[in-house]
Amino acid sequence: MSFLAFFLIVVSLLSFVVAQLILKRAMEVSAKAGLRHSRFILLVTLGVLLMTVSFFITLGLLQRFDLSYLYPFQGLSVIFITVMAAAVLKERLSLQLVAGTLLISAGIVLVSLS
Amino acid sequence: MRDRPSGFGNPWLQLTVSVACVFVSELLLKRGATEIAEPDSALSWTGINGLASPLVWWAILLIIASFISWLYVLRYVPLTIAYPLSRVVDVLVPLGCWIFLGEFISTLRWCGIALVVVGLALVAKPVAQIEERL
Repeated sequence: MSFLAFFLIVVSLLSFVVAQLILKRAMEVSAKAGLRHSRFILLVTLGVLLMTVSFFITLGLLQRFDLSYLYPFQGLSVIFITVMAAAVLKERLSLQLVAGTLLISAGIVLVSLS
Repeated sequence: MRDRPSGFGNPWLQLTVSVACVFVSELLLKRGATEIAEPDSALSWTGINGLASPLVWWAILLIIASFISWLYVLRYVPLTIAYPLSRVVDVLVPLGCWIFLGEFISTLRWCGIALVVVGLALVAKPVAQIEERL
């Protein structure tokens, strides 16, 4: 795998993770302020933009690698999103949730190695 | 978790809808991307040339559908629970690749799939308990 491919995989992953956090925040805003609130619209737009970036980069990567090879990198997003949601959005983490998250990620990585 | 609507508005049903749409879209994307693959073209690193495939457009429609139901899920369910659960798709996609795309699944890969299932059960269990109490 070339440096460019690795770089693109990381960019795609990061933009996806940040998009999820932004969208969750957006839906929290919408629950309080409604769907027409300017902050909600701004956050959703930003989230959609980041997901679009992630989507097209992934589409480019899919032309070069097997889906089953690329997928595990999305598996890492489980760990990133869970940790960031706890840190940034102050969501509660239980031991069981952490264990489940780690198992899911480990499983996804195994799928890719095989 | 705040009060949740039931029926079609049930966030757990919407999570299932979202996952199903992602699952089908991934298979369509792989088919579509393979169909129009131009590994020699620099532009194809951006994936833009993928838009030439009708399958990619169907996948985009499904992604939009999954996105809308996902936003709905996020309104009611914490990200720390909803996102790991949404990764059930990581079991479904390899199975789909095996069944529909004819890709090979090795023993190690089956083990990985099993780990994901155990992890999902761990994440889902507290949710089931909360639901029971309601």
